[in-house]
Amino acid sequence: MSVEASALRLKVARPEDAMVRVENATVVFDGFKALDIDSFSVRQNEIRVVIGPNGAGKTTLCDVISGKTRLKSGRIYLNGADISRFKDFEIARLGVGRKFQTPAVFGSLTVQENLELAAPISKGVLPALYRKTSAADRDKIREVIFAVGLDAVPDVQAQYLSHGQRQALEIGMLLVSSPKLLLIDEPAAGLSDDETGTMATLIKKLAEGHTVIVIEHDMGFVRQLEADITVLNEGRILAEGPMSAVQADPRVIEAYLGR
Amino acid sequence: MTTTKVPRLAAFTPPHASKTDPETIRFRKKAILGLLILVFLVIPTLNQFGVIEPHVLNRVGRYLCFAIAALGIDLIWGYAGVLSLCHALFFCIGGYAMAMHLSLPEAGGDVRPEYHNIPQFFFFNNVDTLPFWWRPFASLPFAILAAFVLPALVAGLVGFFIFRNRVRGVYFSIITQALAWGAFLAFSRNEMLLGGTNGLTNFFKPLNSNNKWILGLYLLTATLLVGTFLLVRGVTRSRLGRVLVAVRDNETRLYFLGYRPDLYKAFAFIGAALLAALGGLLYAPQNGIITPNVMRVEDSIWMVIWVAVGGRGRLWGAVFGALMANFTYSALTSDMPRAWPFIQAGLFLGALAFPNGICDLWTKLEGEVRQGSRIFRPLLALAFVEVALIADKLHWIPSFGGFAILGVQSKYWIVIAITIILCIGRVAHASIPMLGLAWFILTEAFGIMPSSFSVLKYVLVLASILVYAYLEGNVTSGLKSIIGRFRRSGRKGEAATVGNTP
Repeated sequence: MSVEASALRLKVARPEDAMVRVENATVVFDGFKALDIDSFSVRQNEIRVVIGPNGAGKTTLCDVISGKTRLKSGRIYLNGADISRFKDFEIARLGVGRKFQTPAVFGSLTVQENLELAAPISKGVLPALYRKTSAADRDKIREVIFAVGLDAVPDVQAQYLSHGQRQALEIGMLLVSSPKLLLIDEPAAGLSDDETGTMATLIKKLAEGHTVIVIEHDMGFVRQLEADITVLNEGRILAEGPMSAVQADPRVIEAYLGR
Repeated sequence: MTTTKVPRLAAFTPPHASKTDPETIRFRKKAILGLLILVFLVIPTLNQFGVIEPHVLNRVGRYLCFAIAALGIDLIWGYAGVLSLCHALFFCIGGYAMAMHLSLPEAGGDVRPEYHNIPQFFFFNNVDTLPFWWRPFASLPFAILAAFVLPALVAGLVGFFIFRNRVRGVYFSIITQALAWGAFLAFSRNEMLLGGTNGLTNFFKPLNSNNKWILGLYLLTATLLVGTFLLVRGVTRSRLGRVLVAVRDNETRLYFLGYRPDLYKAFAFIGAALLAALGGLLYAPQNGIITPNVMRVEDSIWMVIWVAVGGRGRLWGAVFGALMANFTYSALTSDMPRAWPFIQAGLFLGALAFPNGICDLWTKLEGEVRQGSRIFRPLLALAFVEVALIADKLHWIPSFGGFAILGVQSKYWIVIAITIILCIGRVAHASIPMLGLAWFILTEAFGIMPSSFSVLKYVLVLASILVYAYLEGNVTSGLKSIIGRFRRSGRKGEAATVGNTP
C-alpha cells in the first residue's frame, strides 16, 4: 500500500464509521493531566499502532477504552454507542478484548482451561455452575491452540509456560473470545527476534475481522505490522499517519530525542 | 496426551495439576473404600462392642462437624484465594439457631416450672415470657431454615458490598475479623437474650449422653460430610470452580474477560458460610452447649490453620487437616496443656514449610506406589497395632506379670517390637509419616491408647516424620525452605516487569 493511499485512509469519512472514537477526552491523576485527546478514531478492521515516549499516555488510552480508568471529561464511542460511563466488565461483554503488558494468564489453570474461560459464553455465576463449554466452542479452542502454536502443551498449567508461550496464550484467549476491538499493550516486550516475527504475523492475522490497537516501543516490530501510527506525547496526539511520514515529522523526533 | 516435563517448584501446587493415571485412580478408590468402611462400619461396630466409648464417639462426631466447616474454608480460601476470618461466626450462627430450638421445652430442653418453663437464663435476666422472636424456634424446620438463611444473609450482604467495591486481600480479612469480633461482643451481652457469655445449654439430655443418640448423630454427621464433600467437589470441578481458581490467580484480568469476580467471590463466601452453618448446626446438639467463645477471632484463625495443615486447594486435605488438628488439640491439651501454644505455632510453621500440607505426603505416596514400592507392610503394621490396642481394651491380652520398663507395661513393648519388625524392609518412604499420623488419628478416634503411652505416642509420630525427612534427604532443605520463605516475603516488590524503553 502506498504512503499516500494510507494517509488518505486515515481520515474517517463519517464519525459513525469508526469502530472506536475518543472525543475531547481528559484523564487527570492527582492534578496531572495524563491524557488530553481532542479526537482519536480507529476504523473497522484497522490495525493502529500507538507509540510515544514513557509517560505519554499510551496505556492510559487503553485503560479508558477498556473501562479501567474513568474519563474526567469527554466521550468514548464504541460502534457509535457511548460507553464513557460503562464498567470494565460491561465493556468487555460488548466485545472489547485486552492484552496486558505483562502476560496476564491464569497460572493454575491449564492452557485449555484458560481458553475455555475466554470463550464467549455466559459469564454469570449460576450458568457457570451447570453449563458446559459447547462443542462448537471446544472445536474453536482446539483450532486456536494450533493457531498460536501451543498444541504441544494444552494440558500444562500456564504458570509453567515460557514467557513467549504465555504471550501466545494470551493472544489465543483474545482469538477465542472473538472481540470486535482488541487492545494490545506491548506484545513484543521481552520476546526473542523469532518470537517477535511470529507475534507480528499473529496480530496481522487478528486484524482480519477485528479492529486492533497496538501499543508498542519496538520500531522494528511496528514496521513489520505495516500499519498507521498515532504518536502520543504528554497525553496529546502529536502526529498521525503512516510510518514514513511520522518518522520524518520534526515534532516526533524532538519528542523522542528531547529538546 | 502430552508428557511435557514440568519443572518442580517448591511452591503451592494448585488443583487440576495434571491428569492422573489409571493405576493411581485404582489406588485412590481402594483408599476411599477403606475409609468409608472405617467410618460407617468399623467405628460403629467397635462402639457397639464397647471398645469406642460414647464420649469418644461423641468427640469424633464433633470433629466431623469441623471437617464440614473446613470444606467451606477450602472453597473460599483454597480455591478463590480469599482469606476470610469469620467462619467461626457462621459456624456459631448455625449452632445458636439449633441451640435455641434444643433449649425450648418443645424439643425436650431442660426447663423448670420455677423458671416459668422457659430456658433458665431468661429468669436471671428478669424475663418471664419467651421473647416473640424465640417462639418460631420451637419448630425444628424453622430452626434449621434459620440456621442456613441467617449466615447466608450475613455473608451475602457483607460479601456483595465489600467485593463489589473491589476490597480485597488483607483488607477483606481485617473487615471479616472485625465482623467476628463485633458479633462476639454482641452475643456476649445479656441484652441479646441469647444467654450472654454463658451461651445456651440445658438441651435435651440424651443427645450427648445416650449412646443411641450419639451414634445416630455421628452417623448423620458422617453422611452429611460425605454429601457436602461430593457437592463441593462438583462445584469446584464445574466451570465456576475454574473461575474461582482464576480469581485467585488474577482477579483483575477476569473483569476484562467480561466476568464479575465479585459475584463469584460472593457465591463462594455464601457457600462457605452455609457449610460452616451446617457444621455448627450439627455441632450444637453433640456438644451440649454453645457459647460466644466459639466465635472468637482466634477460632476463625484456628479453622484456617486446619485447612493449611491439610493442604489448601484440595478438599480431602481440608477434611483431614480439620480432623488431625483437632485430634492433636484434644490429645495435647489433656496430656500437656502448656505445650499447646508451641504445638500450634509448630503447625503454623509446618504449613509454611509444606504449602500443600498432608496432601504432599499423599501425592508422594501415590507416586511411590506407582513406582512399585511397598506400602503393604507398613499398612499391616498399622492394622496390627490397632487390633492389638483394641484387643487390649477388651482385656484379651494377658499382662505377662505386669512389670513395666520405662513406665510402659511389658505387653506393650511386645506390641511395639512386633510392629517394628513388620515395618523392617523396603517400604515406601512417604508411607512412614502417613501411617504415623494415621495411627495417631485412629488411636485418638478409637480412644484406645493406654495412658502410659502418652509421651511415647508423640515421640513415635515425631520419629516417623523425622525418619521420612531423613530418608528423603530434606531435613536441611526443609529448614532452608522455611527460612527462605520468611526472607522472600520481605522483598516481594521485585517482581519482574518487562522493559518499557524504545
